[in-house]
Amino acid sequence: MHKSDSVGQFEQLVLTAILQLHENAYGVTIHAKVEELAHPKSVSLGAVYVTFDRLEDKGLISSRLSDPTPERGGRSKRFYRLEALGERALQESALTARRVWEAVAETWGKELGEWGPRRPHPVRPK
Amino acid sequence: MGPAPPASGPPKIIEAVAGFFIPPACREEVLGDLRERFENPRQYSREVLCTVPLVILSRIRRTSAPGVLLLEAFALYLSFAATAIATGFSRFLVEENGYVRLTLPVLMALLALVLVDAYSRAERRPLFGAIAAFGAILIQAKRQSTNLELAFPSFRMVLIASLAGMLLVTGLRLLFAPDNNRTTGA
Repeated sequence: MHKSDSVGQFEQLVLTAILQLHENAYGVTIHAKVEELAHPKSVSLGAVYVTFDRLEDKGLISSRLSDPTPERGGRSKRFYRLEALGERALQESALTARRVWEAVAETWGKELGEWGPRRPHPVRPK
Repeated sequence: MGPAPPASGPPKIIEAVAGFFIPPACREEVLGDLRERFENPRQYSREVLCTVPLVILSRIRRTSAPGVLLLEAFALYLSFAATAIATGFSRFLVEENGYVRLTLPVLMALLALVLVDAYSRAERRPLFGAIAAFGAILIQAKRQSTNLELAFPSFRMVLIASLAGMLLVTGLRLLFAPDNNRTTGA
């Protein structure tokens, strides 16, 4: 099994969603949380399943099946949780993102302060 | 008579078709998630069409090892070439399309092996894989028999080569059995 600490952007979103959802992290809730994090991009459920498989192969997450529930037609949920390796990978990604943010802030200065999450990309000063 | 009550779940036929195509190892949770997200039959059908192919491909990626597949292809090729020589039909190997004749059944066998890996439990894969690949080779050889350029010189040769190939492939699959529970479909 291939194990790696490096994770892609979409994998980071899925890991973050699992981290935030704690005990309630399964397909539907994780997909909803990932869509929220990836806004305004839409995310397909299939892409989330593919990422679960990849993260599980890397040993970053693990899963277990719950008991069947009537609202799902008597079908089980597969709950996911972060493994120690996954927590470390997410932590490293977050630190990298922070360093990127700080470097960008240093270059763009106060212009970045006006750069809200929903605003367009600021024009770089010449 | 009042209005018909809203449908409480997805259409049974679409759910059954989706369930047929989703590999058993992830069928339970994928069908459950799709059902939980059900809004109307159109949305459900669209979601099934977008989700199921990715689930199948991901499952194939998890259960297929390219290195082992390459070894299996080599083993099948070798068994066909060796059988052709042993049964006195080696001439067809150097004829035009000689190796194409071998390639098509080998490719069909590999496809069968990949699908068996994706859809069956780990402990059943060596047996199911051998049966599926054997069947795929015979079906392909039968199809090629109608084409003069691709037909094998003898059905007996195909039969012996398939059996020898299956023995080699089964040995390889036992030797390189995966050890991950989730990927094995446990």
